[in-house]
Amino acid sequence: MVEFTKSINNKIGLHLRAAGEFVKIAAQFESEITVYNGERYANGKSILGLASLAAAKGSALRIAIDGPDEGEAKAALEKLIDDKFYED
Amino acid sequence: MRSNRLRKIGNGPKNGLNGPPREKREIRKNGISASPGIVIGKAFLKDSELLVVPTTKIEESQVEQEIEKFLLVLSETKKGLLKLRTNIADRMGDDHARIFDAHLMILEDVMVVEDTVALVRKERLNAAAAFQRVVNRVMTSFDKIEDDYLKDRYVDIKDVKRRVLRNLLGRSKGTIDRPTEPSIIVAHDLSPSDTAQFDRRTTLAYATDLGGSTSHTAILARSQGVPAVVGLEDLFGRVETGDAIVVDGNTGTVVVNPDPGTIADYQAEIKRFKELEDQLLTLTHYPAVTLDDKEFSLCANVDMPEEVASVLEYGGQGVGLFRTEYFFISQEQLPSEDDQYKMYRMVAEKLDGRPVTIRTIDIGGDKIVGYLNRSAELNPFMGWRGIRFCLTRKDIFKTQLRAIYRASAHGNIKIMFPMIVQIEEVTKAKEICAEVRQELKKDRFAFNEDVEIGIMIETPSAVAMAEALAKEVDFFSIGTNDLIQYTLAVDRGNSKISHLYQNLHPSIIRFLKKTIEAAHKRKIHVGICGEICGDPMSVLVLIGLGVDEFSASPNMMPEIKRIIRSVTYDECKSLVRRVMRYRTTSEIEREIEDFLKARVPSVREIERTPR
Repeated sequence: MVEFTKSINNKIGLHLRAAGEFVKIAAQFESEITVYNGERYANGKSILGLASLAAAKGSALRIAIDGPDEGEAKAALEKLIDDKFYED
Repeated sequence: MRSNRLRKIGNGPKNGLNGPPREKREIRKNGISASPGIVIGKAFLKDSELLVVPTTKIEESQVEQEIEKFLLVLSETKKGLLKLRTNIADRMGDDHARIFDAHLMILEDVMVVEDTVALVRKERLNAAAAFQRVVNRVMTSFDKIEDDYLKDRYVDIKDVKRRVLRNLLGRSKGTIDRPTEPSIIVAHDLSPSDTAQFDRRTTLAYATDLGGSTSHTAILARSQGVPAVVGLEDLFGRVETGDAIVVDGNTGTVVVNPDPGTIADYQAEIKRFKELEDQLLTLTHYPAVTLDDKEFSLCANVDMPEEVASVLEYGGQGVGLFRTEYFFISQEQLPSEDDQYKMYRMVAEKLDGRPVTIRTIDIGGDKIVGYLNRSAELNPFMGWRGIRFCLTRKDIFKTQLRAIYRASAHGNIKIMFPMIVQIEEVTKAKEICAEVRQELKKDRFAFNEDVEIGIMIETPSAVAMAEALAKEVDFFSIGTNDLIQYTLAVDRGNSKISHLYQNLHPSIIRFLKKTIEAAHKRKIHVGICGEICGDPMSVLVLIGLGVDEFSASPNMMPEIKRIIRSVTYDECKSLVRRVMRYRTTSEIEREIEDFLKARVPSVREIERTPR
């Protein structure tokens, strides 16, 4: 199990399209991925779940990954958030 | 006109369209006229079946079976949607079909699937109730989110929910979600996926609670040539499937359970409208020329390639305004250069050498596109829209220009920029056009080097600068809807002040005159596009002002032509000279109305809008 916290800094936060990009990557891994925004959390492989977290720009997301490929998953997701969900 | 009689409450015998006879009162609702024409028919309520989802406890032994059934239904719903998607892609093009991608995404969502399965397993809930609970939870959480795109998906989520529930409850065969006989579609709101499914042959008209004149339903109805009234607020709750209903797309009125008197009135109106149309259609092959041989160009405003057929049918000489917003709005993402190229090319080819003026996207104002990550503006009509948007999102602008230029190899295409306020916007936009031409040359694409470039005159500042602007461009098109709104500072949608929105306000006539004179002084072509073309009195003024081109909805063109063919240019010029002396709209209107009655009696007599 690995965990990390990261602020999202794309233009308008984890909206539906950004959530879609997140899921595209998350779904490639076997590990279970859970995304926390404060008290709320969602399955990292669900677009609707992620979108319903209502994570605005600047929100700090805690991401917990548990499974055989958790290391790779962490690296890939960190990169996605750093790249601002390829928005620009 | 017939208002007194219409407002009476009927107590005569009702034709038992819907089960046992009930006392039904006539209800009149006014909305926004979205597509012209009048139809009397039976209502078909989209969404009429209230899905009652029973909540039951299932036996422990049934749990796995219930889950299996749920997964099977999901995959069958998905199959059905994919089939529908292919179907619509074949019939209406891939862009229309893309609306189903959001549906499919929801069906495949792990959270929805897993949470439903978990509820069935843990609480031994039946799958339908579990699924409903999960989806409702998602929708509730979406309520709090400021994301225009997400809000637009609301209808999609509801749609998918309904499909799955219907299949789960095993009623998919017995229930219909589209009419089997010609009906008037009544809905709270229609998603593109709803409208795409209706068979044109059984769709008499649309009436919806939500929407404006540029909403999806409005545009589609116009392209299908069926009447529509939108923005009816609470009609849906007042109608039942099978109720008799009148949709008057000319005035934006809907009458539910019309009295026999009302029906007779509307039947007469339909007959008159039909006669007028037939009469006008006989003019299709004649030119738009006055009695003293002054010829005007008569073109159409369109939103979709599908509309080009009706442009030709109504005798249009081309497309004076091809709005590209609809294409952008109806997509899930920005349309690619190739997608745009194909569409512009299709329009140009269908017009077969006749001109088409493509207006670069005027996103903003009332047309917000979710995927562009735009946040709502406090004052969108004065906000980031038109050319302002294009010059800051040069990437989007250039993609569109590349597509337009490439399509120019296949027809008579012109480019037009909206919302010009200052000269620099024109010079910058032209520079970008030059860049695009350079790049296309380098990329070895064929295109027309001399595509005409014009601008919309729709702001008071553009009118003030008209002469200077005329030096920069090949043509003007006066966009009266915005010009009037900006000049008179009136929002037509605001019922408290909408009476102040006046086509024939003395300031508007002066602005039109100044713009047309500036264009002619610089020897450039000047057209008019806007709803003002649908007003016979304004048309007379525009003839007198010597505008070169009228561009209006396809079905308005014959009437404009009829007016042009009934008068002389000379008498309209002197009419304009006379009205220029008046200081008030009412004096101007009186003068023109007298002229209209005397010179174009038949148009006046069959004028459709009761005042």
